Amino acid sequence: MAAKGDMVYAWTTSPDIAKVAECGGAVTGLLKFALENNIVDGVLAVKKGVDLYDAVPTFITDPADLAETAGSLHCGTLLLAKLIKKYLNGAQDQRIAVTVKGCDAMGIYELAKRNQINLDNLLLIGVNCGGSVSPVSARKMIREKFGIDPDDVVKEEIDKGQFIVVTKDGQHKGISMDELEDEGFGRRSNCRRCKMKIPRQADLACGNWGVIGDKAGKATFVEVCSEKGADLLSRAAKAGAVATAPANPKGIEIRGKVEGAMLKLGDKWRARYFGELGEGKERLQKMMEDSSRCTKCYACIDNCPICYCVECSTKKPYLVPPGVLPVPFMFHLIRYAHVADSCVNCGQCEENCPMEIANSLYMHALQTDMEKMFGHTPGVDMDLPVLAIVEEKAERERLFATGSDQIFNVFK
Amino acid sequence: MAETNGKLRYVPTTCPYCGVGCGLNLVVNDGKLVGVEPLKRSPINEGKLCPKGVSCWEFVQSPDRLTKPLIKKNGKFEEASWDEALGLVASKFREISDKFGPKSLGFQVSCRTPNEECYALQKLARVAFKTNNIDNCARICHGPSVAGLSLSFGSGAATNPFEDLANTDLIFMIGANSIEAHPLAGRRILQAKKAGKTLIVCDPRYTPTARLADHYVRYNPSTNIALINSIMYWIIKEDLHDKEFIAKRTKGFEDMRKVVENYADVESITGVPTERVKEIARMYASAKNAVIIYCLGITEFTTGTDNVRSLGNLSMLTGNIGRPGVGVNPLRGQNNVQGACDMGAYPNVFSGYQKCEDPAARKRMEELWGVTGLASDYGVTLTEQITQCGDPIKAMYIFALNPVVSYPNSNHVMRSLEKLDFLVVQDLFMTETAQYADVVLPGASFAEKDGTFTSAERRVNRIRKAVQTPGDSKEDWQIFVDLAHKLGLNGFDFNSPEDIWDDMRRVTPSMAGIPYSRMEKPESVHWPCPTLEHPGTPILHREKFSAADGLGTFFGLEYRPPAEVADAEYPFTLMTGRLIFHYHTRTQTGRAKMLHHEVPEGYVQINKEDAARLKIQDGEKIKLRSRRGEAESLARVTDEVGPGVLMMAMHFADASANMLTNDALDPLSKMPELKHCAVSVEKITGVQ
Repeated sequence: MAAKGDMVYAWTTSPDIAKVAECGGAVTGLLKFALENNIVDGVLAVKKGVDLYDAVPTFITDPADLAETAGSLHCGTLLLAKLIKKYLNGAQDQRIAVTVKGCDAMGIYELAKRNQINLDNLLLIGVNCGGSVSPVSARKMIREKFGIDPDDVVKEEIDKGQFIVVTKDGQHKGISMDELEDEGFGRRSNCRRCKMKIPRQADLACGNWGVIGDKAGKATFVEVCSEKGADLLSRAAKAGAVATAPANPKGIEIRGKVEGAMLKLGDKWRARYFGELGEGKERLQKMMEDSSRCTKCYACIDNCPICYCVECSTKKPYLVPPGVLPVPFMFHLIRYAHVADSCVNCGQCEENCPMEIANSLYMHALQTDMEKMFGHTPGVDMDLPVLAIVEEKAERERLFATGSDQIFNVFK
Repeated sequence: MAETNGKLRYVPTTCPYCGVGCGLNLVVNDGKLVGVEPLKRSPINEGKLCPKGVSCWEFVQSPDRLTKPLIKKNGKFEEASWDEALGLVASKFREISDKFGPKSLGFQVSCRTPNEECYALQKLARVAFKTNNIDNCARICHGPSVAGLSLSFGSGAATNPFEDLANTDLIFMIGANSIEAHPLAGRRILQAKKAGKTLIVCDPRYTPTARLADHYVRYNPSTNIALINSIMYWIIKEDLHDKEFIAKRTKGFEDMRKVVENYADVESITGVPTERVKEIARMYASAKNAVIIYCLGITEFTTGTDNVRSLGNLSMLTGNIGRPGVGVNPLRGQNNVQGACDMGAYPNVFSGYQKCEDPAARKRMEELWGVTGLASDYGVTLTEQITQCGDPIKAMYIFALNPVVSYPNSNHVMRSLEKLDFLVVQDLFMTETAQYADVVLPGASFAEKDGTFTSAERRVNRIRKAVQTPGDSKEDWQIFVDLAHKLGLNGFDFNSPEDIWDDMRRVTPSMAGIPYSRMEKPESVHWPCPTLEHPGTPILHREKFSAADGLGTFFGLEYRPPAEVADAEYPFTLMTGRLIFHYHTRTQTGRAKMLHHEVPEGYVQINKEDAARLKIQDGEKIKLRSRRGEAESLARVTDEVGPGVLMMAMHFADASANMLTNDALDPLSKMPELKHCAVSVEKITGVQ
């Protein structure tokens, strides 16, 4: 019987899955077991679209379709959290297993706090993530830095600080991430600043870091993070869907070192990005100038795992006059005020911005400042943020009745 | 196929709005559209979208959609079967054609429709009725680009792709407000600026694009040729022209040089001081690679073709053509304005610009289509067809256009449509124009059919069917196939848009090498692409120009004032344009909640000085009059336009700029002067 806190090596017993999966295929094996045994009604995962640069979310109810989600795609920059709210009714009416990177897990927690996702109905299979590369940038990088036609690449991975590609004729080539990123390629800027490499707020945290010895490349490292996760792993192991073995202590140590190195790298990038942003008026000036290009596509709001209001304040004509370009800075102030305490640095507001505004950087910088001030860390547990302890409708009524837009009684 | 089961199905497709061709995912739950999600794999927009793109799914499932064919009986529309409606269309068109000949019919094709449908309808018109009276609405946006660039370079299309802006050193924009009208092309301009490239924006209006400029030049409306001639005068005067390029690759330089001799000082015409012109001339000519981007601020004039050719002159004068980072690029307004022309929905060419007047081209098409007697004349153009309603045009087929709102001089359009014996309108909604129809046919939106759009950079982008059409409405290509069968035509045995595309490829050398299989990945292919092995042609005119002799041509072009200038009775100059939040006559964007929230009604920009003088306040309703009509709209008091100049968006039927606009035509391209007319402004007493 697995228990919370356990660390094991796990691998699928299905030859079919083993053929298509990576690192032992435990994740695909566990998802298949959960779906076949009515532990969940569906699985939300990511599959390859037109090629390996095209990550497409997919909602699977037939276990036979799970094979297409096996393996990892580092050029997928999706955030699944908001999709659950927008298109799967926030998992209010069905049980869903979801494979989650750190940002997915954090976004899900933030939406769950706001009653937009029912966490009880979710089974979160966490996967380690060292960061992802935007697909168009990845193709450019492979063409220009690797000297390889991106259409000839059959596999890509991020391992030991390198971005590695394998071509159809079997050629391997790796270049260090540091070198790529110094030249403007490599991971998204929010991924560089990210410090959620092993998502332990999921039910299971899976990955290949720390799998050593004869199991290297053939098993998945699984850390059991919740009772729900323990139950799934135990039942799957008991039924023979996956096989497990205790993790090698040396492997556990190595996994810790990898994680530690990634966190240190995250700190380095934070220092660099936040440093360049400056402080006080200088920072404000930069934010105002950059955001003045906004053309009001609302992508930052639509894709944000914190934004959920039906009546968004940015659509109040007395705060932000509609249809006016350049968009008044109040539009962005509203977002900073409402989101910054809970920003999980998922990067969507920036990578979906058609006007190249560094939204995510600003919000993340504000969030880290506020975390220092208020001691609240978003995305890791169900603790309410400063602004989520009010119920929207009631709060709006109160504000309307008092004729104010100041939210007073939020400090506990 | 559009599946009806399952949640969160992503259907990668192409945005139905402007000519940038952004990729996006339609999200389908249980056979219903539920949203748009980024297609980050697209090299065109990398998942990013503008306000219109993110909301483009909303109108598709509007309850206002037409779901049944309608036939007008005793002045009222009654629902009909497809058999009855198409039977009536076929018999009426046949009857009128037999009685009055090919000149008695008019076919009008919208540039928002896929290539396959543009091709099918022009084939139907030409094969069934031997008429060349078929045109598309490029006529009223980039007709002068097709005409002008063909004359200058031998090909009427943009020379370089959007992404190529990364390779330039200087961007010269004139009459283009890309941030609003082509936002994701605007992003490429922004990226270039961020990378330290110089941005010059010439525009009568201080637009959101002009705000980005390193150098903004305000000039008087309709004075493009004078301004460009003067820039060229100073380039030559200061010996900054590319003599080698001119000698080796062009002809006509002396003609041009003689004309620009007289344009040293144009301040009295353009309002731009000579020193400023010199400065711009030096910057453009000295840049290693300089690109020209223009839009409807160049084309929508009675001098449209000459304006375009002036830009051709400027680029050749400095050798800025035929390599990365340079070129002359019109930004096409509609998703498929390039494609509608490419497909031969044009009165003098078959698909791929094969000329109808050329006996060899006609013979080839007759053989490939299995017909005889294809028409050789230059058919009647879009707005001229409107003028010919009644005589000699008796029957008209309007496919997905709304001329009552979108063509100039709306009163003239409405009076003309009333003169027709028989009008068919095929569209998604009961538009202002459909009210005039005898038969209304319910078509399909971009989300309900397969096909292709060709973007402004000549890239052929796939659209994919995500959901079924509502009610009895049909995919438009299917309507044309059914109608062709009613007419007893051969060569219309198409079972899918891909069949039509392949028929087009068979007869079109410049696109023969682009089957659907090459469009699976979003990189797709830029035409010309003659063979399956050909990589496509992102950059035109590399070694030689596309003209028969391989040379680019300079033209000596004199400045001419617009057809109607402000005078004592109509003292203001009215310009028209687009807003980022709406598309054309709003039949689609008006049904998107967010866009309606931003701009629910039209307005007219008026300069602060003028407003103060006339005691007009911001937000006040005012009346505008021209020689052709009048319109009421809300005043937006601003300094974005200069004194004496007004600007209205073209989108709003209830505050319609086209009640006022001038339908005088550019003699070469038949472009009406949509962006310049004279109006008066009045307060509406007592109304706030």
